[in-house]
Amino acid sequence: MAPLRGGIIGLGRMGITHLSILKSHPDVRIVGICDNSKFVIRAMRATEKGSDIIICSSYEEMINKSSLDFVVIATPTKFHSEIINFAIKKNLHVFVEKPFVMYVEEGKKILGSLEGKSLVNQVGYVYRFNDIIAQVKNILTDEIIGSIKYFKVELNSNTIIRKQKLGWRGTPKFGGGCLLEFGSHCIDLAVYLVGVPTRVMGSAFQNVYSSHVEDIVFSTLVYDNNCYGNVFVNWSDSSYRRPTLNIVILGEKGKIIADSHCLKIFSSEPDEKHKLKKGWNTKYITDFAKGVRIYVRGNEFTTQLDYFINCIKNKAMENLSSFEEALKTDIIIEKIKNNRFDNVR
Amino acid sequence: MLDKIIFGDNQFFGINHMSEEKAQMLSEKFSNLKDIVDIIDFAYDSGIKAFMLNSNERAKEICDYFRDNSARYSDLILYPSIPYPHKFANLVAEKGIFNALKDYLLAGLNMGNFFDILLKGGMAILKNDIFKGMELLVDKEMSLFAGLKIKVIFLQNIVTDLLLGLGIKNIFIEFAEYIKKKYKVEPGFITQNLPALKGFLLECGIKNPIICASINKIGYLVNPNLQAYERTLKEHDFRPIAMSIFASGAIEPTVAIKYVCKTLKIKSVVFGASKKQHILATKKLIENYCA
Repeated sequence: MAPLRGGIIGLGRMGITHLSILKSHPDVRIVGICDNSKFVIRAMRATEKGSDIIICSSYEEMINKSSLDFVVIATPTKFHSEIINFAIKKNLHVFVEKPFVMYVEEGKKILGSLEGKSLVNQVGYVYRFNDIIAQVKNILTDEIIGSIKYFKVELNSNTIIRKQKLGWRGTPKFGGGCLLEFGSHCIDLAVYLVGVPTRVMGSAFQNVYSSHVEDIVFSTLVYDNNCYGNVFVNWSDSSYRRPTLNIVILGEKGKIIADSHCLKIFSSEPDEKHKLKKGWNTKYITDFAKGVRIYVRGNEFTTQLDYFINCIKNKAMENLSSFEEALKTDIIIEKIKNNRFDNVR
Repeated sequence: MLDKIIFGDNQFFGINHMSEEKAQMLSEKFSNLKDIVDIIDFAYDSGIKAFMLNSNERAKEICDYFRDNSARYSDLILYPSIPYPHKFANLVAEKGIFNALKDYLLAGLNMGNFFDILLKGGMAILKNDIFKGMELLVDKEMSLFAGLKIKVIFLQNIVTDLLLGLGIKNIFIEFAEYIKKKYKVEPGFITQNLPALKGFLLECGIKNPIICASINKIGYLVNPNLQAYERTLKEHDFRPIAMSIFASGAIEPTVAIKYVCKTLKIKSVVFGASKKQHILATKKLIENYCA
């Protein structure tokens, strides 16, 4: 089989990670790169001297010139829907960074335009590919802790720890702010692990250092089956060294406490399949250690892109993190925006 | 000749791959320089003279201490690793790659016009020549370690592995040559992808490269898998240094060290410890099993 021809749009922190993971994939050839920074273009041209890779500032030009099979979109969120629409028109498989789109309406239109087309579509909700989260999902699917009564998903980091002029992540119209950047991860995990809430209430935005966007967001998710959940995100907490996820799930028969490295399960009865004792069970990421093809910033980053490529190769239309799945998160984000207490704007 | 035992620094900076809770406890335990120095002194007095130190926010105070007490540390040998990627990751997220590099190079330099002029020139270079930009970054990171005895300068793993995936040979070649030319020491590379990196460095023409990688019996942070590592280690065309040998505490010490030193015959090991008795016990085990 000829290698799949791919293009990367947006070479910021995530775009360059995706480029690194895909460029080293044996079944992929990256033939186009596009970014609006002159510096990035110059640097890429210098490092790609002698190769026939197309490096330019316009995604239309890149897509038109490079006869692609797929694109990876890692631009500010504001540009996602426009680029996705263009890529779908050109019949390209699409991987887009999270969150899916800025506005739910845009997302619905995109889903409509995918109908009848066999295009793999995936959103970069990378925690779905984390080994610990996969274990949590399995334990919940097998109802080890019984029906869920309450859960909490938290993401904290030291990303913004002083007042400063910010790039697009500090600008609301580009999709900046902690809700879209961090909150989307937590909401997606709530959707993945527990399901779609019917109501959203008690939401608030708080700022610490940013003047135009929120630094802290929290919200209560209400479910039909008498389950409640909280999401809490803060990107301005200097006590953290890097983004840190924490999850607590209380069921009628037990409890799960998880971060991206460690999983603690309190089970009211032993379970052979999951190797659980009655009472507390602690499992570490080292217990599930499996290598990846290439490690760049964490197993899950490679796993999610290799999964995307496999879906294209195998013409698999079911996707663990599809546009349809990600739109659920965008709908919840919109509800949070609409009913929030707001200290910021 | 690489040191048999190199004392690592992750524990000082609240880094633990297994548990956020342990990481927080370490961060608290070593919040004072005095507590870091206490452990370093214990390791040094027990005969460990080689120390690996990443150029993170706290490296400066540790290096200042070494410089201020140079008589005490006359046999000290550093294996610095550069850069500290998290400070860049946040800067890049906020400002984009170019402005992050620019702000970083300009930060903290209030030493008069000389540096201003140098750096204005530096900005033009950075814009137009990515390789010269790399040299400026190396110099800035290495300024932390000025005046201290250095054996190997490592490229930190997140950066190494990102560049490995990108397949940019020139950066590796230029980095290796610049380290040798400017600092008169050997370049080294830290990675979580030992087999792929080894092949790549040889293709770059970097002969008998020094490669520091996570090597442990359970295959934690071992990519693509342990079999590939064991095969690569039999090829003897590079100098391996093992790190993460205990997989953040998941492997019993004797089992861990026997595997790395006796089964795999690795001659140089990095380990970190926050307790004095662990330093002594680990040192003894490595000396017992390492030929």
